[in-house]
Amino acid sequence: MVQYNFKKITVVPNGIDFVDIILSRTQRQTPTVVHKGYAISRLRQFYMRKVKYTQQNFHEKLSTIIDEFPRLDDIHPFYDHYKLALGQINTARNLISKISKDYVKLLKYGDSLYRCKCLKVAALGRMCTVIKRIGRSLAYLEQIRQHMARLPSIDPNTRTILICGYPNVGKCSFINKITRADVDVQPYAFTTKSLFVGHTDYKYLRYQVIDTPGILDRPFEDRNIIEMCSITALAHLRAAVLFFLDISGSCGYSIAQQAALFHSIKSLFMNKPLIIVCNKTDLQPLESIPEEDMKLVMEMKAEAMKTVIGQGGEPTNDEEVLLMMSTLTENGVIAVKNAACERLLNQRVELKMKSKKLNDCLNRFHVAKPKPRDQKERPPCIPQAILEAKAKQAADKEKRKMEKDLEDENGGAGVYSASLKKNYILANDEWKEDIMPEILDGHNVCDFVDADILQRLEELEREEGLRQAEEAADDFEMDGKELTPEEQRALAEIRKKKSLLIQQHRIKKSTAESRPTVPRKFDKDREYTSKRMGRQLSALGIDPMLAINRARSRSVSRGRKRERSLDRGDTDGDVMDMDVDTPNKKLRVRSTSRSRSRSKSRPPTEVVPGEGFKDVTQKGKALKLAKKSVKKRNKDARRGEADRVIPTLKPKHLFSGKRSTGKTQRR
Amino acid sequence: MRLEKCWFCSSTIYPGHGIQFVRNDAKIFRFCRSKCHKNFKMKRNPRKVKWTKAYRRLHGKDMTQDSTFEFERKRNRPERYDRNLAENTLKAIKKIDKVRVTREAKHIERRMKGKKGKELQEAKKELEQNISLVKAPAVLKEDLSLTLPIKVKVSQTQAESHLMEE
Repeated sequence: MVQYNFKKITVVPNGIDFVDIILSRTQRQTPTVVHKGYAISRLRQFYMRKVKYTQQNFHEKLSTIIDEFPRLDDIHPFYDHYKLALGQINTARNLISKISKDYVKLLKYGDSLYRCKCLKVAALGRMCTVIKRIGRSLAYLEQIRQHMARLPSIDPNTRTILICGYPNVGKCSFINKITRADVDVQPYAFTTKSLFVGHTDYKYLRYQVIDTPGILDRPFEDRNIIEMCSITALAHLRAAVLFFLDISGSCGYSIAQQAALFHSIKSLFMNKPLIIVCNKTDLQPLESIPEEDMKLVMEMKAEAMKTVIGQGGEPTNDEEVLLMMSTLTENGVIAVKNAACERLLNQRVELKMKSKKLNDCLNRFHVAKPKPRDQKERPPCIPQAILEAKAKQAADKEKRKMEKDLEDENGGAGVYSASLKKNYILANDEWKEDIMPEILDGHNVCDFVDADILQRLEELEREEGLRQAEEAADDFEMDGKELTPEEQRALAEIRKKKSLLIQQHRIKKSTAESRPTVPRKFDKDREYTSKRMGRQLSALGIDPMLAINRARSRSVSRGRKRERSLDRGDTDGDVMDMDVDTPNKKLRVRSTSRSRSRSKSRPPTEVVPGEGFKDVTQKGKALKLAKKSVKKRNKDARRGEADRVIPTLKPKHLFSGKRSTGKTQRR
Repeated sequence: MRLEKCWFCSSTIYPGHGIQFVRNDAKIFRFCRSKCHKNFKMKRNPRKVKWTKAYRRLHGKDMTQDSTFEFERKRNRPERYDRNLAENTLKAIKKIDKVRVTREAKHIERRMKGKKGKELQEAKKELEQNISLVKAPAVLKEDLSLTLPIKVKVSQTQAESHLMEE
């Protein structure tokens, strides 16, 4: 059974307060700002969160209420209201969960802020109405909580002693004597308004002693709440019951009335060990009470005995059942307590023995004992050696030196440090205290440890030797070789020629830029002259004369050029005889004829005195200049100097000044 | 106690230096100094950062494969202590170091030396193949040496005189 701590039940707020608390918490703990421009999923999430949060809070609070309030079995109609209230709380909780679920489902399909908001308002509103409806139950539970908080904590399972009897009989004084609980002792009735618990010890066990409020002899239905508490407690707990009887009658009730009470509530004492205690014996001893009262007392005792018999106890102990004491003089108080405790203990033990659990355990045990066939003693046989060894071991244990003893001998904890390597198992015991370095020259020594390291090292050294020899040989070989100066010159020439060729090629390379739109066919740059050929051939070492002559004899323009110098000094016949295999015979014939018929005219470079030139060279230069100036500019559809010219490479406005917007990281 | 290698620059990390970073997948990165650590945080690849060993090895600046590297290997089984073995190991470490250092130096020297031999070979080949650019094969047949022919200047008059003669 769960331990309830009645004092720690949380306050149950009433309906309106409850709603206020939860709603204000929702407002504080969830985000509050939302605009209709947000994404729809975000809006939905926002409102769903609010609904869920509210539901969770309600659920939590209601659950705590339900859990903290104790669940009492249906023993008396008195508790109906209580159960009903708790049931209502439970249903409210479930209703709220349902509401939240439904509205969250609806919110998933909300399509605008307004709609989501309406849904949320509806959800929260419904939840709040649910709570408002159970407002009355909440108020009722709050009252009960306040009442219960004043109840002391009772463990229903431990050994309990119940004290009951008429008000003002002396129960509280008894408790004060036995336990440390300080119970009100007042002379008038109705002092104890609820149960009081104290603890006492007997035979090293703790006993709970519960004092019930004064029970008046009235029918059940007329009892007030306080008395109902006590009665239910009686019925509920498994305890030993001490019924107090005031012999002297100084409480205000006669023995007859007390007997009547006893008889009316004896039904509750069915299975409990009952002891009748006659209190205030200092005022009037038992023997001196009148006859009728004695008879009543004896009746009560008989009843009490019945309970004893019912438990299977011995009927002879009537001392145990009826006891005298006086709390004022403390006469017999301890006896009463002991008797009660003893009875209770016996009953509990018997109960446990009878219970199923024990039976289960007992069934599994079976100690087998062989039946003795004769009276001879047969003790267990232990050989002598073992006994001696055992004795020796015991002695050794005392003699063996511990490490701690060693430490103490050598100066204590701070002075002596134990040698951890003492018990190492090594090939040679001298090595025990060796300190091996872990690091050497920037390497971890452990990485190099290898059984055959020496062998490998030898191999390595051999290898290294060989390699060094090889290197030396290589170096020696390499030193002899070099190019002779002749070779060097030739190489230089070759490289120069190559680079020239490459350059030429690059110049000649026909790209879109350099290619004229109208291509030229014949030797515009005057590359292919016989002079040039002669130069090149002679550079190679060949005599060019033959080649030149051949070329000239075959050339077409031979006849076209003015060969004045030739004509002057030579016979024409010789010239003509040379041309055996000229291609353009016709042309040849005509040109020579023309040259013959013409009269001797002046060469253009001849200096005529009236023209104003100094000498032939000057005139030649002047003619050249004249010709050059008339020459049409060769455009050839090529990019000229005027195209794509950057007049200023570093314009000032780009290379200086700050920018109005932006960075000036690069210019 | 172990000497570790820096993850970034591969230098040894002595005790009391550097930072260790443990990633969520339990991989440990050790750095020898804040320079390497900061480079790592910048997500730089050590194979692209010139001064690290990783770069140098990758680009062939330092020796990569050698038998001296195989002596040093992380062993996970503890060995029983043996004084002789320990002594030999310590001596061996020194010798192996020496060998390794000389080999590395040689590697770098070789790299720096240049291609004199190769160039020589190339030059020789070029001479053989391309001598015809500066000396005609006919002339070469007469005169096997590599002396260059003397350039003769060719003028028009000379050519004519030749012509006249014939």
